Amino acid sequence: MHRNEIPPGTLYLLILRTLARSGEMHGYEIANSIQRISDDVLQVEEGSLYPALQRMLIKGWVTAEWGTTAGNRRARYYKLTAAGRKQLTVEMSQFERVIGAITRVIEAV
Amino acid sequence: MDWLRELARRLSMLMHRRQFDADLEEEVRLHLELRQEEQFESGMTANEARAAARRRFGNATYLKEESRIAWGWEWFENLAQDVRYGARMLRKSPGFTAVTILTLALGIGANTAIFSVINGVLLTPLPYKDPKQLVVIKEHDSLPNVMDIQRQTRAFSQGGGINVEKMDYIGATEPVQVRVGLIDAGFLETLGVQPMLGRIISPGEDVQGGPRFAMVSNHFWQDYLGSDPYAVGNTIQLGGNSYTVIGVMPASFALPAEHADVFVSLMVRDPGAGAERDLHFMHTYWRLKAGVTLAQAQADMAAIDRRLAEQYPAEEKERKSQLVPLQEWLVGDVRSALLVLFGAVGLVLLIACANFASLLMVRAFAGHQELVIRAALGAGRGRLIRKTLTESVLLSVLGGATGLLLAQLGTSVLLAMRPENLARLSGIHMDARVLLFALVVSLLTGIAFGMAPVWISAGPDVAQALKESGRSTTASTMGHTVRQVLVTSELALALVLLVGAGLLIKGFSRLRSVNPGFNSSGVITMYLQLPETRYGEIPKQTQFRRELLTRLDTVPGVQVAMVSDIPLGGNYVGHRLVIDGRPPVAVGGEPLVQTLSVMGDYFHVMQIPLRAGRKFTPLDREGQPLVAIVNEEIVREFFPHKDPIGVRICWAGDVGPPRWMTVIGVMADVKHSGLNQPTDPAVYTPFSQNDERWRRFMTLAIRARDASPGLVAEVKKQIWSLDAQIPVDDVRPMDELIAVSVAQQRFNMLLLGLFAALALILAAVGIYGAMAYAANQRTHEIGIRTALGAQRRDVLRLVMRDGAKIALFGIASGIAGALALTRLMASLLFEVKPTDPATFAGVAILLAFVVLAACYLPARRAMRVDPMVALRYE
Repeated sequence: MHRNEIPPGTLYLLILRTLARSGEMHGYEIANSIQRISDDVLQVEEGSLYPALQRMLIKGWVTAEWGTTAGNRRARYYKLTAAGRKQLTVEMSQFERVIGAITRVIEAV
Repeated sequence: MDWLRELARRLSMLMHRRQFDADLEEEVRLHLELRQEEQFESGMTANEARAAARRRFGNATYLKEESRIAWGWEWFENLAQDVRYGARMLRKSPGFTAVTILTLALGIGANTAIFSVINGVLLTPLPYKDPKQLVVIKEHDSLPNVMDIQRQTRAFSQGGGINVEKMDYIGATEPVQVRVGLIDAGFLETLGVQPMLGRIISPGEDVQGGPRFAMVSNHFWQDYLGSDPYAVGNTIQLGGNSYTVIGVMPASFALPAEHADVFVSLMVRDPGAGAERDLHFMHTYWRLKAGVTLAQAQADMAAIDRRLAEQYPAEEKERKSQLVPLQEWLVGDVRSALLVLFGAVGLVLLIACANFASLLMVRAFAGHQELVIRAALGAGRGRLIRKTLTESVLLSVLGGATGLLLAQLGTSVLLAMRPENLARLSGIHMDARVLLFALVVSLLTGIAFGMAPVWISAGPDVAQALKESGRSTTASTMGHTVRQVLVTSELALALVLLVGAGLLIKGFSRLRSVNPGFNSSGVITMYLQLPETRYGEIPKQTQFRRELLTRLDTVPGVQVAMVSDIPLGGNYVGHRLVIDGRPPVAVGGEPLVQTLSVMGDYFHVMQIPLRAGRKFTPLDREGQPLVAIVNEEIVREFFPHKDPIGVRICWAGDVGPPRWMTVIGVMADVKHSGLNQPTDPAVYTPFSQNDERWRRFMTLAIRARDASPGLVAEVKKQIWSLDAQIPVDDVRPMDELIAVSVAQQRFNMLLLGLFAALALILAAVGIYGAMAYAANQRTHEIGIRTALGAQRRDVLRLVMRDGAKIALFGIASGIAGALALTRLMASLLFEVKPTDPATFAGVAILLAFVVLAACYLPARRAMRVDPMVALRYE
């Protein structure tokens, strides 16, 4: 099956949305979740999640805490903050505006 | 506030960098392991699973780096690394490090010390409300005039005057004299001072017959009122009268120029003097209205002056009030001195920097091969420059920190030897501005002079440099030239400073050799003032004086006399002179002369020689014909072709018929107002023939054969045996009065001398270092020359030739620089031209010797070079 790179600039949106849906997650879970929900269409270069998560930590959109996985391993869990939730709506409306515009351009006769 | 929280997060990451790295590492490892397990379970081999996990993750090292960089501390880590590296390099050569830091510390320390003085005296605003609006009128004025100006002015919002008078205060353990500021109601208000306790006097109370109210200084409150928080309402005994304390000043309050312990209303305390229009004894302060310029105020003042002169021609004919901003008036005398000193320490710093640069260069050449190899291995030019700069800035900041310590030490020394007119110096301390100054100077030094070796060593043609052996590269030839230029400029700068110091020293020695007109050694002075309540009448005063001198005559081994104002004491009373038989002069236009009253054989005690006629005798007393003695300046000015003896003189403006005094003698001139001041025309009269009741003050002049410590106590005992409530003040040897009068000049000379000495040492070290290094570099060449038959004399000539060149160019350009710069210090010099040839020549010769000595040591070492050793050294 062919996998597509995610469109540039949407990585934050994907992470924010994923965390909003499922509460706490560690990096591996986030990568898997994005992939699974997109029916394996969206392929994140998994490592690039981590610099993105760091930037989101700096911005204060997420917080990170160490916890234990189901398999009893130490993992860093990320959680959305209020600022992160606000950012999610901003990113969403931006994304919808862009997608809407692209759709209109494509469907125009 | 979001950015603040973000900054806090970033800072916390910086604090926990190690934890951050470990966390990231663990997180990535977990991710890879989980992915690997998943792949393994889907049927891959262990190796395939690991490779797949890696592939899907991407470049882990790069991504970890990205995560770190996201936090924005990369520059900091690089800097920290450079600093650590630099510090390690410096620790490896402690000698170089110590010499460099010390050199910079001397330069930066001296600059910081002088800057902190300038900061305290010139830059810090005066501690009053809106100090920029405050001006003074240079000329003293009378209270009626002050009140007229207050009524008529359109330029000032407020104004007031003060005259400080000593009064007796009874209530301390022994009778003391306190300084009482006689003021009008506008004075304290003009300065904008809020009392700490109570209030200040109101205009309604500042009238003749008003209540006797006093405002006391914080010192007075502490010393005499026991810091009583309920001191307001207490009464104090001043000059025989009771005053009620209505206010206590805050500790931060000090008068701009005068010193006063207590403030009382002039109109209440002395309505007679307060009402006299021609008694110009108040010093006045004024506050400009908002938006009024000094020029506008000066024009307004001139109009008021004109009106007053028309209205009161007898008293105010010659009015000419000059306005000066308060700050300028206070620092006027010291500004030029401080700026010259600042310029001087600037030169010292330049010399230190030149040494710094040449030390860095020597070091850069030593590490030249290393740099070349690093460049060849691909180190960027920027990275190399940063490494070199980090090292030099590290050195300069360390030097600056050490310099700050030296400056702290230096300012306390400066404070200890400050002259009295630098009183504001006591407020000097290391504030943020001084620290910032030191930091900026250090950084600039490090960057600017750290660049010197960078230019030469970071830009070599790598291939060319690698081919050469490192002994005679183009870089080192170029470095040799640069170093010679550096030491030549050092020499020139040192010469400028030495000439400046030499001129001040010469001026000071001229000043000290000025004949004051009396013999100060062995003379002790003390000031007495008779209380008005008991000595208001002249016969009482005369009786006290005569009795006191009689009693003091019984003290063995001393001669005692008294004068109204002692030379160099800072005071005298001026009167307008009328000479009998001369055509009358317009009222108010008579020449002003100094008038001094004496009793006892004052001229004998002070050893002022008689030039003509006779001295006073005890018979020149009350009831006898009035007599006067003049000084030579009076003869020069008013009797150039005539014998003054027998001429009658009197004072203009005397009430009633003129009191003619016959001139009976001429005394030698005395420098009354300062050794560097012209002699004023002066007239001496006997105290006993005075008709001025207010001359209740006197200074005793006591010449003791051997001044035993008990003498002062013995004299005090005699005074108090006559009247136990007379305070004795200002007990000072005459020598001290002379020393104080030249303290400012002495201060300038010592400081500039110190800086010049510093400059000389730094320059000598610099020249020695450069010559020694150059001679060392030529060991090989000298070895060959010696092997080929050169004599030691030839070797000596070879090495000394460089030195001679430096001496010649350095001294020539230094003289040119000094000629241009010493003009700026003309106002600090006494009877020495800024281009004094003897000083210039002396300094040039001194420096030539220093250079030769600095060259001779390395030259002698070079002469001893063993050709075999030198050649084998290759």
